[in-house]
Amino acid sequence: MDIQITGLRRTFGKVTALDGLDLTVPGGMYGLLGTNGAGKTTLMRVLAGVLPPTAGTVRVGGHDLATRTGRLAVQRRLGYLPQDLGLYPDLSAREFLDYVGLLKGLDDTAARRRQIGELLDMVGLADAAPRKLRGFSGGMRRRVGIAQALLGDPALVVVDEPTAGLDPEERIRFRTLLATIAAGRTVLLSTHIVEDVAQTCRDTAVMTRGRVVFNGPVADIVQRAEGVTWELVGQGPPPATGVVVSAVSRPDGTHYRLVSSARPDPRAVPVQPSLEEGYVALMHAGANG
Amino acid sequence: MTTLRQTWAVTRYEFRMQIRKRSLWITTATLAVVLTFSQGDRGPRHLPPGTPPREVMASWALLMALLLPIGFGMVLADRLTRDRRLGLASLLESLPIGRGALVAGKYLGGLTSTAVPAALVLLIAAAGETAHRHDPALFAWAAVAFVLVTLPGLAFVAAFALVCPLLTTAPLFRALFVGYWFWGNMLNPDLFPSLTGTLLTPLGDYPATWLMGERALYAGADGWLQFLRPEPGGAAAVAAIALLLALSIPPLALASPLLRRRNLSA
Ligand SMILES: Nc1ncnc2c1ncn2[C@@H]1O[C@H](COP(=O)(O)OP(=O)(O)OP(=O)(O)O)[C@@H](O)[C@H]1O
Ligand SMILES: [Mg+2]
Repeated sequence: MDIQITGLRRTFGKVTALDGLDLTVPGGMYGLLGTNGAGKTTLMRVLAGVLPPTAGTVRVGGHDLATRTGRLAVQRRLGYLPQDLGLYPDLSAREFLDYVGLLKGLDDTAARRRQIGELLDMVGLADAAPRKLRGFSGGMRRRVGIAQALLGDPALVVVDEPTAGLDPEERIRFRTLLATIAAGRTVLLSTHIVEDVAQTCRDTAVMTRGRVVFNGPVADIVQRAEGVTWELVGQGPPPATGVVVSAVSRPDGTHYRLVSSARPDPRAVPVQPSLEEGYVALMHAGANG
Repeated sequence: MTTLRQTWAVTRYEFRMQIRKRSLWITTATLAVVLTFSQGDRGPRHLPPGTPPREVMASWALLMALLLPIGFGMVLADRLTRDRRLGLASLLESLPIGRGALVAGKYLGGLTSTAVPAALVLLIAAAGETAHRHDPALFAWAAVAFVLVTLPGLAFVAAFALVCPLLTTAPLFRALFVGYWFWGNMLNPDLFPSLTGTLLTPLGDYPATWLMGERALYAGADGWLQFLRPEPGGAAAVAAIALLLALSIPPLALASPLLRRRNLSA
């Protein structure tokens, strides 16, 4: 299901969380990068039909989210993993999935059980299935979260920072899992972690302050930092201009890498930027522009 | 059809989660034991041999209704608010299920989960009475007393316990609820204007009075709002039950918009 958003605004009192956002997501796995408070969660809640927009139109698979029928049509084909999803502590993983499956309208008991079994296998929770959720670790809870999102074979999967707080190995497993399920559907993945997007998504959008400031192939983000990324070896504190992306102490001094539109120091040399530096350059251009 | 199936699903799972709560069983057992051993001379244990089983079991139902619903109100007070506390509100809002079905399911699940221990207590009481009264009809009358005396009050308490915490908070509701319970059910209407003895007592005073053939507590006693204090009897008992059930509807109807408002401000 493709997503078409035009002029989307959402305010909370005086706070503008989404500020006239335009975005088209064709299909496949799509990244959504942005700083804290950029509006990623708000956008995802709107897409999930949880929050009504203040203004603008959102169409998912041709259905208008402003109408009740449109919203229901989208919700029937939606898998949503909210940021900070909680679980019922007194249910087992299997029971929780059964409950969500029933609410999604999977009424055929045998088919529902079969699907739950497959999903539990897929997320590596088959052995833990009969255990109460209260005893699950953060990573296990996240896997229950993605399993519930995938129930009912949704055409659109919206996952809000699924890798936050996971150890590196678990994070890699998780994003690979997401990439495998993206075949034949739309997966919208929000994250702060540039690397997660780089490893799984061909295209991504970058948000700051309720707007999309970049939309396109992940590789193009790197270009944003070309000519503005510098390396500098120094003994003292970092230079005052620019954003320091990394600082590594070595015997000959501290190696700084920084993003700055002007040469930050006479000794600084221009270098080939990384994806992260591209992202920083982008955020900075967005913040200044 | 879908709505009905979803309501049924919520009912089943709410029931399952609630019935597993240790606090539900501990509260019920503690209150039931306290009531059984502290009942005065008017209590069912002191009814003379030969008392009709109808009166014995109605008396038990009334005795248990003095305090058990307080415990049930406490236990049910977080059923609608806890989804947000646990971090499940967004997920539930994103599912293709109406808030009406969700509220109805939570209500029915919560109600049945408290009805089970309440019924169990009456069954145990009937078993205890059978041991020395030797009348199997006690079990049948336990069922009747449960349906007429206990259940309507539970339906009423469950509705308010579910919805009121959306307006206040669960702890504040719990405190207010205890105050209400004594004022609206047991405070002598002679002493102070109260709902005690009116058709609006969830305690089951009118139905119990009808089954027992004598005034159970204060049903029909003179006091405030005299028009709500008809002479006890079959018709008055039916009216009391119907009123309690009818009064359960407005809070439930309010639950959907209240829940919506609360989740949006999340
Ligand atoms: N329910 C709400 N009430 C008030 N303000 C809100 C609400 N939800 C979001 N906001 C505000 O809207 C802005 C965007 O928040 P949002 O949660 O969408 O950002 P985010 O990109 O998901 O951030 P993070 O990366 O920290 O999760 C923030 O300024 C936030 O304070
Ligand atoms: Mg967020």
